[in-house]
Amino acid sequence: MQLDAKIPGGLLTEKWDRNLFELKLVSPANKKKLDIIVVGTGLAGASVSATLAELGYNIKSFCLQDTPRRAHSISAQGGINAAKNYSNDGDSIWRLFYDTIKGGDFRSREANVYRLAQISNNIIDHCVAQGVPFARDYGGLLANRSFGGAQVSRTFYSRGQTGQQLLLGAYGALMRQIAEGKIKTFPRREILDIVLVNNKARGVVTRSLITGTIETHAADAVVLATGGYSNVFFLSTNAMTSNVTANFKAYKKGAFFANPCFTQIHPTCIPVHGAYQSKLTLMSESLRNDGRVWVPKNPGDKRSPDQIPESERDYYLENRYPAFGNLVPRDVASRNAKMQCDMGKGVGETGLAVYLDFDDAIKRDGKDVIIKKYGNLFQMYEKITGDNPCENPMMIYPAVHYTMGGLWVDYNLMSTVPGLFVIGEANFSDHGANRLGASALMQGLADGYFILPYTIGGYLAETSMQKVTADHPEFKDAAKKSESRINRLLSIKGKRTVDDFHKELGSILWEHCGMSRNSEQLLRAQNLIRELREEFWENVIVPGSGKEFNQSLERAGRVADFLEFGELMVIDALARKESCGSHFNEAYQTEENEAKRNDKDFCHVAAWEFAGDDNEPVFHKEPLAFENVELSQRSYK
Amino acid sequence: MTSTTDKKNINLTLKIWRQNGPDNNGFETYYADDISTDMSFLEMIDVINERLTLEGKDPVAFDHDCREGICGTCGTMINGRAHGPEKGTTLCQLHMRHFADGDTLVIEPWRSRAFKIIKDLVVDRSPLDKIIQAGGYISVNAGKAPDANAIPIPQETAETAMDAAACIGCGACVASCPNASAMLFVGAKISHLALLPQGKPEAMIRVMAMVNEMDRQCFGNCTNHRECEAECPKEISITNIARLNREFIKSGLF
Amino acid sequence: MSWFTNTFKTSIGKKLIMAVTGLSFICFLMAHLAGNLTLYGGENAFNSYVERLHTFGPVITLIELGLLFLIIMHILIGSVLFYQNILARPIKYKVYKSAGGRSLGSATMPYSGFIILAFIIFHLINFHFADKTNNTIFQIVAEAFANPLYIVIYIAAMIVLAIHISHAFWSLFQTIGVNHPKYMPLIRIAGIVISLIFGVGFGFLPVYVSLI
Repeated sequence: MQLDAKIPGGLLTEKWDRNLFELKLVSPANKKKLDIIVVGTGLAGASVSATLAELGYNIKSFCLQDTPRRAHSISAQGGINAAKNYSNDGDSIWRLFYDTIKGGDFRSREANVYRLAQISNNIIDHCVAQGVPFARDYGGLLANRSFGGAQVSRTFYSRGQTGQQLLLGAYGALMRQIAEGKIKTFPRREILDIVLVNNKARGVVTRSLITGTIETHAADAVVLATGGYSNVFFLSTNAMTSNVTANFKAYKKGAFFANPCFTQIHPTCIPVHGAYQSKLTLMSESLRNDGRVWVPKNPGDKRSPDQIPESERDYYLENRYPAFGNLVPRDVASRNAKMQCDMGKGVGETGLAVYLDFDDAIKRDGKDVIIKKYGNLFQMYEKITGDNPCENPMMIYPAVHYTMGGLWVDYNLMSTVPGLFVIGEANFSDHGANRLGASALMQGLADGYFILPYTIGGYLAETSMQKVTADHPEFKDAAKKSESRINRLLSIKGKRTVDDFHKELGSILWEHCGMSRNSEQLLRAQNLIRELREEFWENVIVPGSGKEFNQSLERAGRVADFLEFGELMVIDALARKESCGSHFNEAYQTEENEAKRNDKDFCHVAAWEFAGDDNEPVFHKEPLAFENVELSQRSYK
Repeated sequence: MTSTTDKKNINLTLKIWRQNGPDNNGFETYYADDISTDMSFLEMIDVINERLTLEGKDPVAFDHDCREGICGTCGTMINGRAHGPEKGTTLCQLHMRHFADGDTLVIEPWRSRAFKIIKDLVVDRSPLDKIIQAGGYISVNAGKAPDANAIPIPQETAETAMDAAACIGCGACVASCPNASAMLFVGAKISHLALLPQGKPEAMIRVMAMVNEMDRQCFGNCTNHRECEAECPKEISITNIARLNREFIKSGLF
Repeated sequence: MSWFTNTFKTSIGKKLIMAVTGLSFICFLMAHLAGNLTLYGGENAFNSYVERLHTFGPVITLIELGLLFLIIMHILIGSVLFYQNILARPIKYKVYKSAGGRSLGSATMPYSGFIILAFIIFHLINFHFADKTNNTIFQIVAEAFANPLYIVIYIAAMIVLAIHISHAFWSLFQTIGVNHPKYMPLIRIAGIVISLIFGVGFGFLPVYVSLI
């Protein structure tokens, strides 16, 4: 199958307008007759549900959480980018586009990224109108701050809770449409399968997490806004319930999975402190605006930080990258932290941490100013570690945070399964091999408010479909298969808990497919994952029954999918014989240990097609054409 | 600072409310031995649950998700205090270093007529969603907005609105209120939207609709005990309840 | 009138009635206390104050009826709120601790309210509905407070009243929406001062009367 990204012709700057004009429209009267299923209520899911409902479609909205407001977008801290140029520092749509393409190490689509930059401004307008309390300057106008990978100040923020505030805006819009009767909401539901009728996505199989009832829902199109798969690593900054299940079921039903090995490791997280640790906590990248990253110059220096004189400190980011300093992109910052720790210069109990020091910023601006900017982050840090960042430098270490890979979609955000659309972090399209800070919120909302509402109409207008109901045999069949899988999980009654397997999978991936990779390790990981998967299906213990609220069972289903998906990540990492962005293969690096791309052979999207449980997935290539930017070695020096 | 020297493990007795079905309920006692003080409270429950699972027993059901204090999913009463004894802290941010060796902890779900218990410590907080559905938003369709800087908003106003908007909807205000009232939750949303010029056009309809819905959901009445403010993990002030009352008077009487 | 019922049937509406009626009682108590202070001027001062008061005749009756109406409202609505609040948590906590919000006043509001109601009835029977054909009001008062039990009852009631008002005063401002970080601390202090004035002002009178 030849992948067709359906990128409109013409000038880059005109592609989106042209596409909008070329998309067929659904008349208002017909919209009322169309049903759309939206899975997920994060920024992408909530915003698209609300917007589609505003347009007149009937929406069924599903989420795992007890209410749509708790989707994991809520944890995003730092901010959202837009090319408003309110700071008058030379920003433009073109510059945001360029920074994002370059930040992604030239592994994303030009047309998508340009559209994202164009729409960024509408998002800010809309969110302000919704009552999102963005930070403002003394004149009452919107304030901006800087973020990694950019030399302009274009990030809008609400303290350290930007994701929360944007999500509450979208959640409000969703709630409004529920009250209007246009959206029916299904909280505490997990997706067990995607149902295809005549090769088109027509519905989902769900399980009520409260009663365990398996339900089927039919519609005219299905939208997955299910987020990323960082939890495959067990320890990540994602919420505990974040999972790959819906996406992986879609993959098994024919949606291609693109670039699964592109996983972002965020440089500023609170280090791991024990084997019982359940998740990692991110400290916003915005801290790098004022915090200085350093380690002792001498390996093994175990003195407390205040005992180490200035001359014996290595501010390695400032030294290596004078132009961007502490604000280099995330992949670069993370890899450098790992390199310092590998050299034995890591600090803290485990030696797996570096300092993020606010001492100079406090001396320069005063404690009050710094507290005002980062107070809630400092508080969060202190709650977890029992240590005050105003007195001692923070200790940070990279952690898995975001996944650039996801289901493959065309320019209209449709997967390779007709009628199955994928938006937000769940798709692969906009961030290439590395996402810049404050771009995830931008992409989720761009997809949800301003892109999919139009492009889904194009699909629905030109596709003739019979109405199907959940009584269709395909639904019954899918429900039966889902149920038998649940029964199988419950019947194993082995000796190891679900979390135990999950932790082992996570550590395999972190060790072999983490911040730096090599082919030998990846091959080993592939075998380890297979063995672990086999053991899982023979030796997992899942207490309770399938007909009740059973959190162990929920986790078991997700981990079973992670165990398959993890192998796909490794296969993708093995196939990409270059280094780019977050994917750092030790065999491909510059003399200065930076990622070395191979544009001749790997300037493409790797899209994987499921070929059966016992077969290796089939590789498909979407070549990336760069007509407007020049491919260059990323340099932040 | 928690350094290696004062790191220690503690033993606790837990009395946890177990409930599966309306009649099958009561407190069960568990012994949490050898708990690292660096653990979070939820990690301690994880450890208990892993042990229960291996013993072939039913693990304790509890709500949790982001584990960084922002999603509002977690929350139980610990020895009579919502989210435990620490101020401005969600349950997931509570760490075991705040407990002493030998402590007994009574762990109960949020109790209120409006929040039905689903299982063990998990309750149904959908009444809070119903209140938001009644009007906790600004009615603007995508595409209609003017330029973001078209309306300047004084910094102080934006900050006060943000203070109120920080609510995570965890329900600790209801749980800790002697009357199981949701006034702080409603007050926070009303304040957030009433303070901003964008929220003003609907302010009068909004407050009436939300208060009516709050009553319909059988929450108690506020008698200004201030327990909600004292327990709110985001330290939202009862000045927001006063603002709700003001908005209500404006809407109801003028 | 739908706007009226719609407003006052809500929980906030009911609380507004509690606040406004409560405020009117505080005003009444101030006037009452001011009048009673004439007791310190001796028998003649007090009796002439009472005579002077009665020259207002129908106005006083009107105020009395008004107060009666407000008291009934305050009691009925307070009882409804109290009952609803009990219903709002059908299963109580096994362990339930304050995080520092509650005060003695707030935690005992309904109970102190019912005690005050009982006291008011007692007080009215003693003095308001007392047979005044042969005695001046001062004599009745003096006679009553010659009994130490009366003194104890009155002092205890005034302590309860002070506790009730210590929460009621700032709380009514909060309910009518007056709460601002700048002046709320002053309102709270004023509440304490007023409850002390009422407690001491009314509470010391029986002692004084019994001494003269």
